[in-house]
Amino acid sequence: MRAPPVDTGPPRAPLRRQRARALAALGLGLLLALPAWALDLPAVMALMAQRRDGEARFTEQRFVSVLDQTLQSSGVLRFRAPDRFERRTELPHVESMRVDGDTLVLQRGERQRRLALDAVPALGALVGALRGTLSGDAAALQQAFDVAVAGRADQWTLTLTPRSARLQGSVRELRLSGQRADLRTIELWLPDGDRSLMQIAPTRPLPAGALPAVDAAASGPAAPASTPERRGS
Amino acid sequence: MSAGRRAAVLLVWLALAVAAGAQIAHTRFTADLSAFLPAAPDARQRLLTEQLQGGVAARTLLAGIEGGDAAARAAASHALAAALRAGGLFEQVNNGESAAWAAVGQWVVEHRYALSPAVDAQRFGPDGLRDAIDETVALLGTPAGSLVKRLLDRDPTGETQRIAEASLGADAGPALHDGAWATADGARALLMLVARADGADLDAQARAIAAVQTTFDAVTARAAPVAEATGTRAAASSPLRLLLSGAPHFAVDSRARIESEVRQLALAGALLIGSVLWLAFGSVTALGAVILPVAAGVAVGVAVVGQVFGSVHGITLGFGVTLIGEAVDYAIYYLVQARAWAPAGWRTWLRKGWPTLRLGLLTSVCGFAALGFSGLPGLAQLGVFSLAGLVAAAATTRFVLPVLMPDGTPGSGLRRWLGLATGRALRALPPWRHVITGIGVVAALWLVSQRAALWEDNLGSLSPVPAEALALDAELRAELSATDAAALVVVQAADAESALQRAEAAGARLDPLVADGRLSGYDSAARLLPSAATQARRRAALPEAAQLQAALAEATAAGPLAPARLAPFVADVQTARTAPPLTPESIAATPAAPIVQSLLWQRPGGGWATLLPLHTRADAIDVDAVQAVMNGLEGVQVVQIGAELRRLYRHFLDEALTQALTGAAGVVLLMAIWLRSARRLAAVCLPLLLAVLLTVTGLRIAQVPLGILHLVGLLLVVAVGSNYALFFDLLTEAGTPPDPDTLASLAIANLTTVLSFGLIAQSSIPVLAAIGRVVAPGALLALLLAAAYAPRRAALPPLGRPGDAAAPPAPV
Repeated sequence: MRAPPVDTGPPRAPLRRQRARALAALGLGLLLALPAWALDLPAVMALMAQRRDGEARFTEQRFVSVLDQTLQSSGVLRFRAPDRFERRTELPHVESMRVDGDTLVLQRGERQRRLALDAVPALGALVGALRGTLSGDAAALQQAFDVAVAGRADQWTLTLTPRSARLQGSVRELRLSGQRADLRTIELWLPDGDRSLMQIAPTRPLPAGALPAVDAAASGPAAPASTPERRGS
Repeated sequence: MSAGRRAAVLLVWLALAVAAGAQIAHTRFTADLSAFLPAAPDARQRLLTEQLQGGVAARTLLAGIEGGDAAARAAASHALAAALRAGGLFEQVNNGESAAWAAVGQWVVEHRYALSPAVDAQRFGPDGLRDAIDETVALLGTPAGSLVKRLLDRDPTGETQRIAEASLGADAGPALHDGAWATADGARALLMLVARADGADLDAQARAIAAVQTTFDAVTARAAPVAEATGTRAAASSPLRLLLSGAPHFAVDSRARIESEVRQLALAGALLIGSVLWLAFGSVTALGAVILPVAAGVAVGVAVVGQVFGSVHGITLGFGVTLIGEAVDYAIYYLVQARAWAPAGWRTWLRKGWPTLRLGLLTSVCGFAALGFSGLPGLAQLGVFSLAGLVAAAATTRFVLPVLMPDGTPGSGLRRWLGLATGRALRALPPWRHVITGIGVVAALWLVSQRAALWEDNLGSLSPVPAEALALDAELRAELSATDAAALVVVQAADAESALQRAEAAGARLDPLVADGRLSGYDSAARLLPSAATQARRRAALPEAAQLQAALAEATAAGPLAPARLAPFVADVQTARTAPPLTPESIAATPAAPIVQSLLWQRPGGGWATLLPLHTRADAIDVDAVQAVMNGLEGVQVVQIGAELRRLYRHFLDEALTQALTGAAGVVLLMAIWLRSARRLAAVCLPLLLAVLLTVTGLRIAQVPLGILHLVGLLLVVAVGSNYALFFDLLTEAGTPPDPDTLASLAIANLTTVLSFGLIAQSSIPVLAAIGRVVAPGALLALLLAAAYAPRRAALPPLGRPGDAAAPPAPV
């Protein structure tokens, strides 16, 4: 007979949820960092579809109710269409987060962690929205968020509110503002009133080789081509 | 025969019957699935089947909800989960709601200093604390911060986060629709339930399954009026359906199915006897005599199986109908022939009739004895049952019937008509023998060209579970994902502590594979129950309060967290320093127990085993890479479940092939001893060979791959078919034409075989159906081919008068 499951895999879910929140935060940070043009959404999308890559410096402030101080950080953001981006924090600590395809790699010191985007639905939604914006795909952007556009071409704001109750549990609102083709600030409001504000310097094209693929960065040898294994029998 | 001797025979027979009855009264009847799970030949495979039969898997139900619309399915999932959690029959109810994990999460927080892989001596020095606190604080102000924020004062170093990271596989779980697990396309809501009751307690599992169904019905009945009232037409028009699968469901379901089928087969068997008696005698007076060998056969068969195996499987009883088919023949031969040779017909029968019946018995015994040695307990039972039953039926015919019915029974029923019709039909066959030979040659060549696709490589064919149910199970399992590891690391040790230490060592070697993406993750019992050594090391790393406070003051200087507010952290660390260690016994009643116990268990034969299921997002796990890093670890093996099960199946297929060939060789040897002529032996074997060949060809044309059970069936075709071939050989040698009674006996013997195996061919139990579908057509072919190839010299000459034949053979 077919083998019943040996592993029931239960312990992941609570942790996955927790993780989802962590990753959602990181994903948002990245999302907020990227350049945009726009006034009305279709126009923004059309412009975005033309830009293939970019690099920018950011500074971020976080206002957290339980802390006495505002948290400050700064670093570099990079993007290459259609689906690669990286947020590299340089101060106060060096750490990085890279997304390539559906894989997310987190690095801090010696520690590297690798996650599947679809293992974390909230992060998946945010990355989907980010990729939608960056690649000019309004449908992808709007999959998880309602998008409101306001302002003028030289001073515009996109306001993103989560569609699902589940995502609303993680994010209250996301405000992106920019000047013409440049995304200049990203403001994230959390349900408990905490907030982060990221300010982005104007972008410039990405130097060649600045953003290696996740797989190429992997230290292990390439896995041999293996035939698909039928699960169970 | 003296009166005293007759009384003695009857007394012995009755004593044996009472003994058989007493044994049956003490026999346990089972209908579980394990009988056809192989008794695994190697230790690694034994461990796997042990886990399949006794582990959490045996208590895990998979459920799907279909119909209605997505919102209705999710609502039903939430309501069903809530009701089942409240009901207490299930220890886990998972449908994607975080509520299911609240208790485990709380437990992890309580024991974080024993569980966190980050806890070491550096962790609680000023530098380690500063770094850990920075990392935790970096999550604040992000959506991930809410959890961190709640625990900040107690867990500023983020140990909970670290435990979560380690346990979190990179596998995708099922998608969520309205907060409930669903398939990617959203068409089906999914749940996974783990019953509290022991997997072997099928009555309790049946109650748990019934509870799921009735709860679901109640939930949907409550929801339906609401859906109608609010006008959600889809929900109202297409009712919600519950799909269930998983090992307990299979076990309970097949038990019910086997029980009902056994009843149906018994009824059909009774009807079969009735019809055959009507054909043979046209009266019911013979009934009493015929029932004796049949009843003796079934009773002794059940008793011997009970004695040998300790229990009798329902499938074995179902197979009993084929025994009835053969035992009836014995009685009919005796009653017809003793009548023909009356007066004192029994004396003549003992001299002339019995030897041929005995030969028929011996060839059948050859067939079933081979089965008796099968490594599959279920098949071995079928073999032993048939063997003991046939011997008992033949012995009853040989010893008891002459006492009770010395001259057989009167009444000829439709025998004459049947004999004439059979004679006509069989005489029409020999002219076709060249055509048949041609077909046989073509079939043989075609089979050779098809040999790659001929064999089945799947254990599923041995399962009493129908293929559609297995397909649904595979579907639900794939949709729930991550429940079915294709490969695992198996760790064995003498005690739990060594098993956990070895699991930790194996885990340490797997971590690099996870970091570089070759694995997406793995599960380990040691995450929630670290070895005592690891716990002791972690405990030793926890500083005393004063020392911790000093380090903390240094680490938080100029930072965003004031050390004063971290008093709960200092207190928790002090508690952890003196907390009793976690042991398999001490966690038994905690929320961690189900998870740990699914991965770590004490083996029935002594020793402990623990599994580390491996996960990947690729199509296949790079087993060689895993094997390479595991080299040199004691008691650690890498197992690919699919490959292992295929190897296991291959083993049994080879075994069945050997047994079938041995059995067939036994039949040929018996015939050789009987015939004492190479020419006659060859003439007898040719139709048998052709019957097997054409049966296999038929299976191939029907796209049925040859499995173990088909081999068993082919062996029975040889065992039964040899009787028909011998019949025609003996006719030739006797040189006398067969009378209608003899031909009628032949036809009836074939009819009972074809009908009884035809009955089990209709069974919904794959084991019975597979054997029946081979033997029923194979036996018919064997008869027809034996007639077609009967030597010309005396092949079915014109019919003579009844009683002319010197010694009508006994085709059984």
